[in-house]
Amino acid sequence: MIESAVHITGVSKTFPIPFTRRSIVAVRDLHLRVEPGEVYGLLGPNGSGKSTTLKIILGLILPDCGKAQIFGRDTSEVASREAVGFLPESPYFPKYLTAFETLRFFGKLYSLRPAELSRRVAELLELVGLTSAGDRRLGGFSKGMLQRIGLAQALINNPRLVVLDEPTAGVDPAGSAEIRDLILDLKRRGITVLLSSHLLEQVQEVCDRIGILADGVLVREGRIGELLAVENQSELIYGNGTSDLSAQLEQVVRSSGGQVIENRKSRTTLERLFLEATRK
Amino acid sequence: MNARFFSLGRVRAIGSNTFTELTRLRVFYVFLLFALLLIGSSVVMARLSFQQEFQVLKDISLGAISIFTSLLAILATARMLPQDIEDRTVYTILAKPVARSEYLVGKLAGVLVLLAISTAVMAALFFAALYIREQSALAETMRQMSAAPPEQVADALREIRDSTFHADLLAGIAAIFIKAAVLASLTLFISTFASSNIFTVVVAVVVYFIGHLQGTAREFWLQEQGAGWFTRIFLACVALLFPDLQLFNLNDQVVAGATIPPAQFVETALLGCFYVAIYLPLSVAVFARKEL
Repeated sequence: MIESAVHITGVSKTFPIPFTRRSIVAVRDLHLRVEPGEVYGLLGPNGSGKSTTLKIILGLILPDCGKAQIFGRDTSEVASREAVGFLPESPYFPKYLTAFETLRFFGKLYSLRPAELSRRVAELLELVGLTSAGDRRLGGFSKGMLQRIGLAQALINNPRLVVLDEPTAGVDPAGSAEIRDLILDLKRRGITVLLSSHLLEQVQEVCDRIGILADGVLVREGRIGELLAVENQSELIYGNGTSDLSAQLEQVVRSSGGQVIENRKSRTTLERLFLEATRK
Repeated sequence: MNARFFSLGRVRAIGSNTFTELTRLRVFYVFLLFALLLIGSSVVMARLSFQQEFQVLKDISLGAISIFTSLLAILATARMLPQDIEDRTVYTILAKPVARSEYLVGKLAGVLVLLAISTAVMAALFFAALYIREQSALAETMRQMSAAPPEQVADALREIRDSTFHADLLAGIAAIFIKAAVLASLTLFISTFASSNIFTVVVAVVVYFIGHLQGTAREFWLQEQGAGWFTRIFLACVALLFPDLQLFNLNDQVVAGATIPPAQFVETALLGCFYVAIYLPLSVAVFARKEL
């Protein structure tokens, strides 16, 4: 049996409010499974329990009850994080370190051997497009560049699971598209990605499955295609068609008892339009 | 790649990163400059007889080294955990196979390296100041006693040399470092449950003063109340919670010209290790349960 990348069963977590007898329920009886190789999107409004769930997965907090495992290892075990890479929301890195030194520092935390570490650092700087900025101090980096360094440090150990908390927060559309492409690249390489984001359109583009949290409860979960499908409607997109063809198709739909809800020109996305307009 | 229970490599990486981070703080250089100025100015402050001059120079310099290292130990350690939590660096580090014990030991190691280097720099300046004054005193004595018999001159020069450099100075400086290490580990412990940087500093400074006064208070208490078992247990608990920092002040003996027996120095060093060995596991125990 293949072990799930992330397996959460019956996890609940409450936080007491200081100096009162009350407490806040952050996560309630959560059951969640992320299979190896898939990109899973964790969605929800602010305060829905996304960050708490990610922290439980990373062993930063312990659940009140239930069990959380990464590739079969309990998340309370330090060793469970050997196969994990994590990019926190708006990551902070010491400004005085260069990109190269930053990646070396994080690599040392995985006890990588010097030769392997040097090779990985070079590979990752190349992957995130920062090879030429490797010797520059992070103090002079843009938000997008910092986010890319954050992504690189999350990949330094060649992880089997990458956890990304709002990976595109504060990044411009071009940077955001680059990060999306990197996520898709990870997926192609068979790396499991657990992603928390507010950018629904981007989640829709990259995720295989999503889970929606509200008030600490997983209210929806499933494959994107299945969740977004409208039960009794279909779309047909064709190219190089004349207005006559369009009218004929509408006629066919009506004559077979169907209903034409909308007939319009296909649209590009705002992101694609922006990227085309600003491409140098 | 491995995730052993405790990896010195990871501790070294965190320690070295902490050290680099601390050396980037401007306040550190302001303190160091202030201490160095104080030590340097002690050369001109004391214009008395040679013996008194050396005594004042040692008193001011060792006092400056002691206060600076103690302050640095408290201030540098107090900011580490709150800062890492505030800017979320702690998440990035602890989301890797890093045990919380490794993280804390690494942080403390970084502070200790900084304290050791600062103490060494200040000690070097102190020795330089002492050497300059010694050479000046030797030259002046020889000039004044040019007509005196050689044996008398030799005696006077020996007396000057005896009142400047001796091994006890090193023991006194080492004790200052040990005291700073105790304060750093104590501050680290406070910061694991403190709600803010300021709270940690205030509590650590209060403990610093209690630590210096408790020896005197204990003697007074024992004289007044007698030495019953209850009193002894109570005083032992107080001594455990608030380290008796006066025991690390070997400077007073050094300045007074008394020798420090090796056994006393070893005892002081062991006491320092004992306190660090108490506070560090306590810090790990509290931090392990801390929800980040």
